[in-house]
Amino acid sequence: MKRKLILAALALSLALAACAPVAGTPPTATPTPGPLDLIDGLGRPLTLTKPAQQVISLAPSNTEILYAIGAGGQVIGRDEFSDYPEAAKSLPSVGGSMGQYSLEQIVALGPDLVLASEINTPEQVKAMEDLGLTVYYLGNPTTLEEMYANLAIVGQLTGRDAEAKTLAQSLQVRVAEVDKKLALVGDRPTVFYEIDASDPNKPFTAGPGTFIDLLISRAGGVNVAASTQSSYPQLGLEQLVVSNPGILLLGDSAYGVTAESVAARPGWEVLAAVQDGNIFPFDDNLMSRPGPRLVDGLEALAKLLHPEAFQ
Amino acid sequence: MRPYLYVSLALIFAILLSLAIGSVFIPPRDLLAVLAAWLSGEALTGRLATYGFIIASIRLPRTVLVALTGAALGTSGGAYQGLFRNPLADPYLIGVASGAALGAVIAMSVRWPYTFWGLMAVPLAAFIAGLLTVFLVYTAARVGKTVPTTNLILAGVAFGSFATALTSFLMLRSTGEVRRALGWLMGGASQTGWLPVLGILPYLLLGLGVLLLSGHTLNLLQFGDEQAGQMGLPVGRAKNVILAAASMATAAAVAFSGVIGFIGLIVPHVMRMWWGGDYRRLLPLSLIGGAVALLLADVLARVLLAPQELPVGIVTALAGAPFFLWVLRRAKNQGYW
Amino acid sequence: MLNIQHLSVSYGTRRALHDVSLTVESGEALALIGPNGSGKSTLVRAVSGVIPVQGGEVHVDGLDVLAAPSMQRARVMAVVPQAASLPPAFTVMETVLLGRTPYLNFLGHASDADEEIARRALQRVDALELQERPVGELSGGEQQRVLLARALAQSTPILLLDEPTSHLDLHHQVGLLELVRALVREERLAVLITLHDLNLAARYADRVALLVEGRVTAQGTPEQVLEAGLISQAYQLPVSVVPNPMDGSPLVLPRSPLPPGQTGR
Repeated sequence: MKRKLILAALALSLALAACAPVAGTPPTATPTPGPLDLIDGLGRPLTLTKPAQQVISLAPSNTEILYAIGAGGQVIGRDEFSDYPEAAKSLPSVGGSMGQYSLEQIVALGPDLVLASEINTPEQVKAMEDLGLTVYYLGNPTTLEEMYANLAIVGQLTGRDAEAKTLAQSLQVRVAEVDKKLALVGDRPTVFYEIDASDPNKPFTAGPGTFIDLLISRAGGVNVAASTQSSYPQLGLEQLVVSNPGILLLGDSAYGVTAESVAARPGWEVLAAVQDGNIFPFDDNLMSRPGPRLVDGLEALAKLLHPEAFQ
Repeated sequence: MRPYLYVSLALIFAILLSLAIGSVFIPPRDLLAVLAAWLSGEALTGRLATYGFIIASIRLPRTVLVALTGAALGTSGGAYQGLFRNPLADPYLIGVASGAALGAVIAMSVRWPYTFWGLMAVPLAAFIAGLLTVFLVYTAARVGKTVPTTNLILAGVAFGSFATALTSFLMLRSTGEVRRALGWLMGGASQTGWLPVLGILPYLLLGLGVLLLSGHTLNLLQFGDEQAGQMGLPVGRAKNVILAAASMATAAAVAFSGVIGFIGLIVPHVMRMWWGGDYRRLLPLSLIGGAVALLLADVLARVLLAPQELPVGIVTALAGAPFFLWVLRRAKNQGYW
Repeated sequence: MLNIQHLSVSYGTRRALHDVSLTVESGEALALIGPNGSGKSTLVRAVSGVIPVQGGEVHVDGLDVLAAPSMQRARVMAVVPQAASLPPAFTVMETVLLGRTPYLNFLGHASDADEEIARRALQRVDALELQERPVGELSGGEQQRVLLARALAQSTPILLLDEPTSHLDLHHQVGLLELVRALVREERLAVLITLHDLNLAARYADRVALLVEGRVTAQGTPEQVLEAGLISQAYQLPVSVVPNPMDGSPLVLPRSPLPPGQTGR
């Protein structure tokens, strides 16, 4: 008797599961003609029948780009870490810390475009694609020119082509301005950009291939880690002492690291930068998010390294 | 019969819970409306359609994958504990997880094309690396024709530590992939949809099928290799079969779901505590019990910090330890081992 | 009948058994005696097929048991090990039922007939009332009886017992050996039993074999083997052998004091 009961219960739940539609598309608004054919950063072909109006951004840089080109009103959801501009914070979050997103939340918001980045794995893109979502994977730029190109792409996706172009142009003007002011400067101070110094004997910094490295050179400095092998190397304190940077930039200032705390680190007092008091906090978000604020970062960095050129 | 009844009911409850709960809250009334529409064949619209889609396309395949993974871990854990006659044994004892992790991290450092096989690269690499590690451990532990249990454990620890160290080193070198690797290591379905289910199903059916039939063999092995042999068991062959089956099931589970700890260790212990150490019953109960445990952990992972989803491995570790202590205190104070 | 021919066993480079030949007929109990490390347990393990042999053969009624599959071997030969570590949670009945393994399918399902055989075996060793008790709760003597019942349930013509009396008190030693002797007589089993106690061997065995450093140095009736010269030589200890006042069997008495320089070996 009991065995029959179990079998009946199992059969019932299986039957219920079987009744469910196995795959399907999430309900979205019916599209109007005006197709847009694109290939995204993963080589996937995409077609948008009209500019996206309900965008979910899965990376802080994507969010910044969207708002910067005036598409902020077309964004309906964001990842956990998107905190700029202020308006983005009031959007519903779909997860993202520890690399896990809530697919359910994403689906429930009913987007017509999900803007992914290199933070997202191909599996995550595939998962969203399998659920019938339109996903565009925006690859990370490695140069400023590639970043402008990304602005144009997002402009295309959201029907803000004109604003994107205008933004790119204004950014280029600002960069050219910085270049002009720095052309007359002779010296190039050596810079150490600290990303993490939980172990003060082996701090993490940015090496070649990162925007930090690129912007330091562009801003008229020399990155002491420019000749290392990996993108985010750990530099030994001895190495740091030998290269003796003129300026220390604290990219980890958001985590409570201050010039005083750095000066107090045993062994760091021999550094010229410490002795001369050339330790400056720096907003890492300006350097690590591949969006329009990179130019803000460039300007801030240039002013820091060559204050005399920007009087 | 009673134990099977209880765990089966628990399984049904866990499945229903897993379908009803997720990071999006679906009010019970809407849930029933969706069910009613499915049963009557009506089409769903608007908000209900979205809910129905979420349940059918996101939660259902995930529920099945999680249940299968939990079943694989529970059964393999029980089999390993019986094979090694060691209460601390779990499915990762001889290096499956460490090897699989290394394979996965190596695969993650390559940019695969966005094709079917490209997307399968990581789970495939994990699966192969896991089995390869077991093979290496087995070969290293063999002495002539026999494979002494102690040797297996020692070789497993050695290879496991080596693989883990190498994995950590690789993660440190390619810092871009660290988050992805960490997420995988902490466990949780990285792939969604029915593909992972289809991927692991053949290996689970084979591996778990063999294990379920090995209850009597494991009972005999509890008396030691010599006594088991004297009672007629072809000990070498029997141990190899069980080892292969359990390793295959574990490797398949780990390949798609990462490293989820505690299930393989705790579930067989709990089943043993409640219903005895006869492996003919322990393994089937651990199969269902493993599914239940992992389903419940997965529900918690989706709900505790919604919309953020925790990796399941963290939930099993955090919830598993105190739960086990509680069961330990309540168990009758007699040797159940 | 159990026929052991020219058996040689090595552990790595160390030779444990040299060219051992023994025969045990049905209805006969052969006691294997010898000093520590002489190879008695090795012989039992080699004959029952659980360690590899480097030379020689073992036949039971014509069947080459070392070449035969283990299941077939287990139908003709059962072993009562020393009270080894038993998994404490198995009940007595479950343990004895495992002895039926050679006749069960691989799922281990025991029929009513199998259970009846197990019960009778328990009754034979006078342990039926223990059947639901977990093995871990039993005393050494009770455990040994359960192991004997398990071997009996295996329904084999040959029985090997390895030091079954080592952990037993006097009462249980005698009880077990009386039982073995009764089984030999009634069921016509061929029994090979290794023993430490020479006098028990003398009283309960039909024939005795003396194993010294892996070689059989003497075989025959208790009177023939338990002879002062042979025993003194084997055990490196002067002994006297006198007839047991109760039944005339040889009684071995160590002579004291030990000769100088002989207190340790």
